[in-house]
Amino acid sequence: MSAQRADRTNPANPKSPANPIDLSVFSAAVHSIAEEMGAALRRTALSPNIKERRDYSCAVFDGQGRVIAMGDHMPVHLGSMPMSVEAAIAAIDFAPGDMAILNDPFAGGTHLPDITLVLPVFLAGAARPAFYVANRAHHADVGGRFAGSMGPATSIFEEGIRIPPVLLVRGGEVDRGVLDLILSNVRTPRERKGDLDAQMGACRVGERRVLELAGKCGLEKMYALIEELLDYSERLVRAELRTMPAGEWSAEDWMDSDGVTDEPLRIRARLRVDKDAGPEAGALDVDFAGSSPQVAGSVNAVRAITLSACFYVLRCLLGDDAPATAGILRPLTLHTPQGSIVDARFPAAVAGGNVETSQRIVDVLLRALGAAIPERVPAASAGTMSNLAIGGADPRTGNGSGEAFTYYETTAGGMGARRGLDGISGVQTHMTNSLNTPIEALEYAYPFRVRRYAYRYGSGGEGQFRGGDGLVREIELLADAEMTLLADRRRFRPYGLAGGEDGAAGKTWLTRAESGERIELEGKCSVPLKKGDVLRLETPGGGGWGKAVDSDQ
Amino acid sequence: MRIAIDTGGTFTDCVCLENGVLRVAKIFSTPADPAEAVLEGVRQLGAGDDLELRHGATLERRHGATLELRHGTTVGTNTMLERTGARVAFVTTAGFEDTIAIGRQARQKLYDWFAPAPVCLVARELRFGVPERVSAEGELLRAPTEQELAALVEAIRASGAESVAISLLFSFARPQTEQRVEQALRALGIPVSASHKILPEFREYERASTTVVNAYLARRMSHYLERLEERIAERHAKGRVHVMQSSGGIIPASVAAREPVRTVLSGPAGGVVGACRVAQWAGIERIIGFDMGGTSTDVFLARDAASGAERTRESIVAGVPIGVPMLDIHTAGAGGGSLARFDAGGMLRVGPESAGADPGPICFGRGTQATVTDANLLLGRLDAESFLGGGVHLDRERTERLMHEQKGALASVEEFAAGILGVVETQMEKAIRVISVERGHDPRDFTLVAFGGGGPLHACALAAALRIPRVLVPALPGALSAVGILLADTVRDYSRTVMLPGEAIGNLDDALNELMGRGAEEFLAEGAAAVAERSLDLRYRGQGFELNVRFDPRNPARSVEAFHRLHQQRYGIADPARPVEIVNLRVRMSAAGESYHPRPRALTPGDGSAAQYSERPVYFEGGIRPARFFKRDLLVPGDVIQGPAMITEYTAATLVPPGCKAEVDAFGNLAIAVGEGVNP
Repeated sequence: MSAQRADRTNPANPKSPANPIDLSVFSAAVHSIAEEMGAALRRTALSPNIKERRDYSCAVFDGQGRVIAMGDHMPVHLGSMPMSVEAAIAAIDFAPGDMAILNDPFAGGTHLPDITLVLPVFLAGAARPAFYVANRAHHADVGGRFAGSMGPATSIFEEGIRIPPVLLVRGGEVDRGVLDLILSNVRTPRERKGDLDAQMGACRVGERRVLELAGKCGLEKMYALIEELLDYSERLVRAELRTMPAGEWSAEDWMDSDGVTDEPLRIRARLRVDKDAGPEAGALDVDFAGSSPQVAGSVNAVRAITLSACFYVLRCLLGDDAPATAGILRPLTLHTPQGSIVDARFPAAVAGGNVETSQRIVDVLLRALGAAIPERVPAASAGTMSNLAIGGADPRTGNGSGEAFTYYETTAGGMGARRGLDGISGVQTHMTNSLNTPIEALEYAYPFRVRRYAYRYGSGGEGQFRGGDGLVREIELLADAEMTLLADRRRFRPYGLAGGEDGAAGKTWLTRAESGERIELEGKCSVPLKKGDVLRLETPGGGGWGKAVDSDQ
Repeated sequence: MRIAIDTGGTFTDCVCLENGVLRVAKIFSTPADPAEAVLEGVRQLGAGDDLELRHGATLERRHGATLELRHGTTVGTNTMLERTGARVAFVTTAGFEDTIAIGRQARQKLYDWFAPAPVCLVARELRFGVPERVSAEGELLRAPTEQELAALVEAIRASGAESVAISLLFSFARPQTEQRVEQALRALGIPVSASHKILPEFREYERASTTVVNAYLARRMSHYLERLEERIAERHAKGRVHVMQSSGGIIPASVAAREPVRTVLSGPAGGVVGACRVAQWAGIERIIGFDMGGTSTDVFLARDAASGAERTRESIVAGVPIGVPMLDIHTAGAGGGSLARFDAGGMLRVGPESAGADPGPICFGRGTQATVTDANLLLGRLDAESFLGGGVHLDRERTERLMHEQKGALASVEEFAAGILGVVETQMEKAIRVISVERGHDPRDFTLVAFGGGGPLHACALAAALRIPRVLVPALPGALSAVGILLADTVRDYSRTVMLPGEAIGNLDDALNELMGRGAEEFLAEGAAAVAERSLDLRYRGQGFELNVRFDPRNPARSVEAFHRLHQQRYGIADPARPVEIVNLRVRMSAAGESYHPRPRALTPGDGSAAQYSERPVYFEGGIRPARFFKRDLLVPGDVIQGPAMITEYTAATLVPPGCKAEVDAFGNLAIAVGEGVNP
């Protein structure tokens, strides 16, 4: 299957060379629409995951569903937002005032907690939408077997409620039936309702601003500018690809296991850079053939995630301020084997595909690029989000009876070293960028005492430039609870590049209060904890870059 | 006598009020020793030592001082930007030494593999742990022994640290251990900053970072202010120095020396207060401030000019988070010196790279790459004769030649120049959207107050793009900051995290009174009477954000009702059934500054023709139009000028595009009505 080559003929496209000024102004204007949607969502959402950790994305699309602007939000949503909009367009015949909702990983979603809303923007009197706006937010719970909906499931049915693209709003009216059906299937309906309201509000902000811009700019001109913007993004990528040597590079890397069996899982990618002369010069063909078949555990990634990883890598090659549009993907042809962990099919469990496998896909892409242009890519970063969830009852609340709590957090690791620069220590890399929860906030909210939060010195790989160190976090439980860990890089360490050493593997230790016994835990596990037990999480270090120079010389 | 002095990059502006009239002096800054220019300003305005005789009596009664020097200083900002602060030792709970470097573990730039490591002002070998712990409930779990404290003191002594910051976990809930550590470290004879004093609020990283910045600045700032006070005292026996805080309130130099973290944006704060005051006199309530300089542009918003601009407790200065209240100034990395270029995809980009002072724009003679200033010159929007009083020669021929070479595929240099302005104005528009639209304010309800070298030139274009109906270019734009400093209130902010359930709302008196008592004492020591404003930060339990609401001790429950209402208003939802948490207590003590209302002058209807000195072609969207040029200092209240026109003055020029109408108001401000559909 190859990446969709969008239809590039538009009647409004005058085929004139881009006007660099209008283009610059338009690009900024449409990007600020996505940013404003994000600000509205952040301001109005109820849950800390959206407000504080900022796990959401907003984007603007043209009438063909091609993304023309995305806010600087979550990288893992880059390529998958467009697929949500495509899925909504394919499933629904939109009328003015409608808004679609979806989270089905097999129909435009990525994993169930990420719920996407899509609003078609109609111009007065038009029969078809001229634009779409969409936003996606990570909801703290969408039902299923495990609180937080990120547990070690073995099929999608255990992971929560699955919403195919359906109308949540019809002709301006919220469909109570659909909303109630969703809210009846989640653990925290009030919070979900608040967050969904915020998402609907953010879509309307986007709609208003797109209409304003179309009014100011004129539709004809706006269509022409959209073509120019997409062409511009494409030109940027092709220009970038042409600076690389032509050729073919392959790489592979491994996931420790799926948490159900001990079997390591392979991800393999073959990159081919084409730089023949002509307007299509500078093309990238990526093939994931040879990657493991999908598995019982939740580390299956749907194709949207694999596309996001490619999008992310291209965007990073371009630099921080290149606009994220559909044009970036034009020079890319992506092949993913159906039914593999990089293109999982129904009814695979996928919660971990979004947070774990997505990172490994980036690692593999960078490793292949590292063979071609080692000076322009970093060595492997931590490669796991170290997702930790702890649930139980807090004895400090409910007049001693203990109210239920669910804690979820990801912990950063070391960044891979770059030519000329050591890797950064203890920082979120690649597909995520969420903030940590302050220790003082955490101890107010949960029956925990944090005993250590520090760099894991020496965990970064040695090299001419050293990989960043991972982190150490020790949590003492002040009440009985159940913990679920979804982490990787316990067996297969973050690789070094250009002769640099690998980073240290991640580790998790549990010290039992009763026996004083210290046990090493698997990367993916669910374990009952007792009051007084101490959990110690050590996240992986980044790989080094270049051969270490002997200090004696 | 009260004199306000604002140190800027080029000029040090000095103002004082004499018999109800503002007097202004402009002096070249002395970057090597900023105090030189300050003292010169005092001399010029104060007419030397007879000051005490002429003005002593009235002020002596109020302040026990004869000269009150109010100062906006860049010492803090520059120390941060140039990274020339002290070698700071950081002391925290053992096990958490690295938290000052880890921060919030997020990266600054999402798509940059070559981003440098984020700034940490504390080197690894200067991070120290104390074996101690306090629980979230404020219970002492472990205290350090005397031997452990002694060992800490020796370790820090041996480290060669020049300043110390202490921030222990939950020290705001139970400060005793932190106080013991502070006491022990005093033996070192170096400045000690303790978090329970600087920012007694939860969230350990932001508190620690704020405390570290304080320690980082302490030596330089206290040295600078003490020297300044000494030198003032040499000539004015009872002279006193006060300093502008980043929050827009004044504090005594002794407090600023102890808590310099409160002054990192001392300079810009003056401009914000000044803009608000000018708007207030002109009867304008809601303003968006727009201060465009050479390398960057500051924007801010005030919902009520009389009570000042919005403040924030989440600032980042030179890459470092600071949690004490500051004016919410948003900075865009584009200004007059921003460089224009075409990127690999052929798109025109402007900034963030800047030509700076050296080499400067092409038209100044040394620069070779087109800047915003060059574009303005080419389009006839700069008046070479009046630019900085004609003191800088603007080379139009050179500009045209070099820009012609850089215009790429564009048809003409004019198109290139117009494009540069279009792109830079889009960036400014974006910055204003961030502080208005993104925070729930509609720009159409505001007046754009433009100042700084480039503000008045671009204001009408921006206003039109944002549909802001009115622009105000204040009188005395060059002294706006100093005026703001002169007239600002004296303000001290106190706070403490308590983290109590909403039901405790009736039991906050003791804690609030303690904060107020501390404030009253400090104000009394300065001989001023202060008013206290109590407020609470509340949130729904489980939320990560707090909302600040007023607290009325006679009716505490009203705060909770106000919280639900505010939540509804801000976020569109409220849930009175949901449990509320009391997070922080706040007390803001303030003493009103000098009251000054300029006398409105009579309006004489006129067309400004007496001030017109030229008519020249100026480029506007849609082509070149003849525009009349006016000298601002020759205009009188009541003059009305229809665009297209340029109104020039020493430090700036105001562009009035076709369709806009400028009127000189009773205070000498230019009030410009921006017509619908203006295409500047």
